[in-house]
Amino acid sequence: MTELIAEIPAWFPKASEFLTFSPELAWVATLCLIMLAPLAIGRDARITAGLAIVGIAVTAFFTFKVMGIVSAEGPQTGLTPDRTGGMLIADNLSLFFKLFLLTFLVGVSILWMSVSANQEDDAPEFFVLMVGSALGMSLMVSTQNILMMIIAIEFASLPSYAIVGFNKQKRIAAEASLKYMIFGSVSAAVMLYGASLIYGFFGTLDVAQIALNAGPVLEAGGANRLLVGLGMFCLFVGIAFKISAVPFHFWCPDAFQGAKTEVTAWLSVASKAAGLLLLMRLAHVFCMYAGAEVLHGVAIVIAIFATITCTVGNLSAYKQTSTKRMLAYSSIAHAGYMMAAAAILVDANKVESFSAISAVLAYVVVYMLMNLGAFGVVALLESKNGGDDSITAFAGLGWKTPVLAIPMLFCLVSLVGIPPFAGFITKWYLLAALGETGVGLYWALAIVIVINTLISLWYYMRVIVQMFLRESDKPATDVPMSGALLVNVCGVLLIVLLIFSNPLKNRSDKYSAGLFAASPTALAGEGAKDSLAQSSPQAGGTESLENNHGG
Amino acid sequence: MFEIGLTHYLVVATLLFVMGIFVMITKRNAIGILIGVEMVLNGANINLVAFNRYNGMGNIDGQIVSLFVIVLAAAEAALAVAICMNFYKNLNTVDVDHGDTLAG
Repeated sequence: MTELIAEIPAWFPKASEFLTFSPELAWVATLCLIMLAPLAIGRDARITAGLAIVGIAVTAFFTFKVMGIVSAEGPQTGLTPDRTGGMLIADNLSLFFKLFLLTFLVGVSILWMSVSANQEDDAPEFFVLMVGSALGMSLMVSTQNILMMIIAIEFASLPSYAIVGFNKQKRIAAEASLKYMIFGSVSAAVMLYGASLIYGFFGTLDVAQIALNAGPVLEAGGANRLLVGLGMFCLFVGIAFKISAVPFHFWCPDAFQGAKTEVTAWLSVASKAAGLLLLMRLAHVFCMYAGAEVLHGVAIVIAIFATITCTVGNLSAYKQTSTKRMLAYSSIAHAGYMMAAAAILVDANKVESFSAISAVLAYVVVYMLMNLGAFGVVALLESKNGGDDSITAFAGLGWKTPVLAIPMLFCLVSLVGIPPFAGFITKWYLLAALGETGVGLYWALAIVIVINTLISLWYYMRVIVQMFLRESDKPATDVPMSGALLVNVCGVLLIVLLIFSNPLKNRSDKYSAGLFAASPTALAGEGAKDSLAQSSPQAGGTESLENNHGG
Repeated sequence: MFEIGLTHYLVVATLLFVMGIFVMITKRNAIGILIGVEMVLNGANINLVAFNRYNGMGNIDGQIVSLFVIVLAAAEAALAVAICMNFYKNLNTVDVDHGDTLAG
């Protein structure tokens, strides 16, 4: 036996490393189980959904376990013993995002069961694609290696293309998935070409190591700077596609309108959040090693993209007649708000960049509730009226079916970002993070966000007006119990989270603080960068806050 | 006779990239666009392998990455062709210009 163990080569991961990445392993096991179960026990939507939920619960259990390890021993990296950065990272941010995705998956599964389960015998395929894309998105947030990042983006994208075209007989679904697939593969190809240029210059794909060497290249100027800049821009195009930042957003409204509504709810939050957190992690690592002043130009680029994205998203949402398409443009606008916070990251000192990540985490959580609620109502409504998702389909809903209209009202008002809903407080955190930098650029971004909030009020209002001020002779909608419960829980949670916004803020502070940073000594042997390894300036403050809360 | 060096490989890779982008922009046929995508991916592959050979710092990261890229390209092509078939079944064409139901 001992001989056998001695035979294990040095590169083979240790058992502790496997434990660190047990959530991923459980996730993959769930995937295989859902795929193979129909062969053994027949195709049944309920059994498949049950298996998926059990797999999600097991994954969540392991995630909590790893969270314990991380809070005791600090961020973990692994599965690549000779690399300092690590292909996979288990830190607070990645674990938070795993829990976020798992919760959201449960929500979307409930919605799917109350809307589509009866008409379909494709349940195994649906869940394989959903759980698979979720795994890809969680990997996107758990890496700082460009190769792993590209694989993760593809891993998240490929199932998404298929799931958008899930209704094979529907013409718009086929069209939506074709458009999504073409935009996606073009941006993936461009991103890979950028990665090859970056690799050529730095001889590595680890972002921390690239950042250590990038400063001199970027400052020297000339052709090298141009080529490295081109490579980075190509990478940014790939991420911007996932975030659906304007002008890489053309797929977004089409794919969201053509897909089934529960799929739209999933993509509108999960894929954008994954892209944003990936962007923020890369920007964070990069400015930690390269120095923020190198990236001033990048901050301006991201700020411009954020401004254009939220403005175009809000202005295009006006003229829409389909609720799904309107909410798709609204999701573009929200991605723009969150990108504004990503611009802080590359240009400010550490405390401010952590409050930016924290604001985005809180925003993402509340945004998930708002979108799940709003798309849930649309899905429930259109499942009862023959697939009509136009805004006029909401006429009279407020008086006939308040069980749908009230949560829709909550979610829409919260999407605007006005009290008394949690969308207000998270938007306030975002503005506060922008404001406390004290830099003119970010103040300008904050003003842009406020103006955009005012613009967005009017198109959300159109639905509310239809629901409560327009008459309709349609009968009341008969809503399935589970779906009604889901959307109402979302609506109520929006109020609860406003009242208990402190725990939300504390948690997002905590999860953003313990961000992984490869030890710079291992990277370059520079003692001067050692202090950066203690990556959580807010950790002390967060702990005391939590103690207060506990006491 | 001249010696084949890094520059020659990079020129081929850049040509593939530019041709790929040109094909993506001009083709209206979905399969044509996918061929453009494959050209860009192969340009990236040539870049990766050439940089690894001439500038590799003693590791083979670039070649490993290019293997991953080949696998990704194959997976993407398989799915893409399936989606094109689905599009063809619904619209009797794979011309992307005919996908104009969703707009605005």
